Amino acid sequence: MKETLLSISSLFGDAVTVYKNSWEASKSDDNVLSIVSGLHGDQVNGIYINSLLTRFMNRVACGQEPDFKLKGRVQIFPVINMQAAQSGTHVWSFDDLDVDLAFPGSDKGEVTERIARALLTHTADSTHGVILKTADPLYEDAAHIQLVDPDRTTKKMAESLGLPIARKLPDSTNFKLGLFGHWRENDIPSLIVSAGKPQALDRSLCDSLFDNLVELMVNTGVLTVPGNKKAVAKLQIYAANAERPIMSSQAGLFVAEARVGGFLQQGQKLGEMRSIATGETLEEYAAPVDGYLVTLRHYPVTFEKEVIAILFTNKKPGFWPF
Amino acid sequence: MKTQNIASHKNPLGGSIEIIKQTFTSAQDKPVKRVSFVAGLHGDELEGVYLCHRIIATLRQLKATRPQAFRGEIHVYPAVNPAALGSATRLWPFFSVDMNRKMGDKNVASLPAEFARSLIEDLQASSDIVVDFHASNLHLKELPQIRIIEEFDKKLIPLAALCNMDVVWVHPSAPVFESTLGYNLNRKKIATLVVETGICLRIHQDYCEQIFQGMIHLLRQTGVLDLADPSPEIKQPLLVHPKQVALVQAGHAGLFVSDVALGTQVQKGDALGTIVDAVRGEVLETVTFPAEGLLFTLREQPVTYQGAPLARIALKETL
Repeated sequence: MKETLLSISSLFGDAVTVYKNSWEASKSDDNVLSIVSGLHGDQVNGIYINSLLTRFMNRVACGQEPDFKLKGRVQIFPVINMQAAQSGTHVWSFDDLDVDLAFPGSDKGEVTERIARALLTHTADSTHGVILKTADPLYEDAAHIQLVDPDRTTKKMAESLGLPIARKLPDSTNFKLGLFGHWRENDIPSLIVSAGKPQALDRSLCDSLFDNLVELMVNTGVLTVPGNKKAVAKLQIYAANAERPIMSSQAGLFVAEARVGGFLQQGQKLGEMRSIATGETLEEYAAPVDGYLVTLRHYPVTFEKEVIAILFTNKKPGFWPF
Repeated sequence: MKTQNIASHKNPLGGSIEIIKQTFTSAQDKPVKRVSFVAGLHGDELEGVYLCHRIIATLRQLKATRPQAFRGEIHVYPAVNPAALGSATRLWPFFSVDMNRKMGDKNVASLPAEFARSLIEDLQASSDIVVDFHASNLHLKELPQIRIIEEFDKKLIPLAALCNMDVVWVHPSAPVFESTLGYNLNRKKIATLVVETGICLRIHQDYCEQIFQGMIHLLRQTGVLDLADPSPEIKQPLLVHPKQVALVQAGHAGLFVSDVALGTQVQKGDALGTIVDAVRGEVLETVTFPAEGLLFTLREQPVTYQGAPLARIALKETL
């Protein structure tokens, strides 16, 4: 069922709207999974994954996926920052405000504040929350889970997604302004799935994450399948001190050679920096230690002392399950 | 004047991006106070950048003619977000990052975060008092004012009163402030005044002149500058607390049109403006002031959505 959460009229075009798609088995079941994408307008992988999930859930609701039965409630919020999504930008140029720094928002405030408040209100009764995002502008992420100081329930939830890699983010003041921080504050077990790069659709990556999210629905009990729940894969959780950023010491055009999502051996080449003026190679980058390449710069124009890549090292990984 | 680069990164075309700091040393071995002026955290806010120019030019002349007047130390950081200033955007280009939301966060590895760290560390090491100049965003125009978070009001109000402002607005804290320069420095016990004036992408010389006089007065009253000539008279700001500020918001989407001047003393029921439908040629809303007071914020960007702020007034009587 499509439901409009917020509609703010505009003088010159369509109203600014935020909507959700939801499917509910029974009012009495309090198991509610909320999946949010499009907090930033340039993060299209999440928007696409939520379109796949919407199609799938419609089929489940119509009995066209006979193996799956809806037990709780699933809510999908496909495009939160519609104005930015329509212009292909990270934030909406009208106010340059980041929706994900506008929580808890206000129902009497400006557009961005109202969007934040509407989303928070409509996810307040969630028992599980997932935010789909990509890497920050200029970077590409391997598909991984992001957590902040996760409790046992959240770790189990992360494990049930079936992705092999998770990253513990250090707590930040900016989390207090974001959806994720507010979910955590309200004790909603929640996680962020980051995959791919902004302004680009990676269909195979999205197809794979779609499968993971269906697995999560089953493992969290909002969907049931005949027989036992699927066995979960081992999840490797990397703490912040296991991250190894590789920085540029030259400025120029960064040309990547490695690809995110694989383990690199010490010395394996990541890419090189070339001079824009002469085309000469200024610097080569290699993995300083063995590690998993989780983030790689994809935008070539690079300043000195910028992050080229982030490796998860095997220094102090945490293992789950327990 | 001593020029330093407190952060410098090479850019891809062979130049560099840097934060420059201009220092005017004290004539005494031990400066009485160290005062720093910061501008350009948002790259489209140019009032502060111009103010720094005025301050640097005046201090250079003073240093050349009356070096003994410098009893304290003065640092001026005129353009702390050079990437954004170069493209006249609020946010750091490429990353769409607000540099004034990166303060105090030690864990983020990115160019804006690195610059933010360098700036805050340098200010911390070299300041007793900091003035952080801001203009408003593209939507609102502000009378010269200082904004103070409630928890720091006792220390900051006496300093703010020296700065020739129209308004000193004490407001409650909120999480959004926790990653700003002002909040983080005040938490570190460095008295930091956040100035808001004018509107972005413009320079209002009258406002800048008023604030410039206030900054010189601040330097004199804190003992940093010892000048024999009489100090010009300065404004006593209107001190307002949260319940003394009324916000007027748009009830409709449209074009907001107003001919009221910022700084006007308004009465309850006076016309603020209209919101019109430009497509159908209709007046959607006639907006009036809800109470008597000083109009210190006024919308300049006409396009409104419902809820858009149109004006703020400092009330004569608490609501």
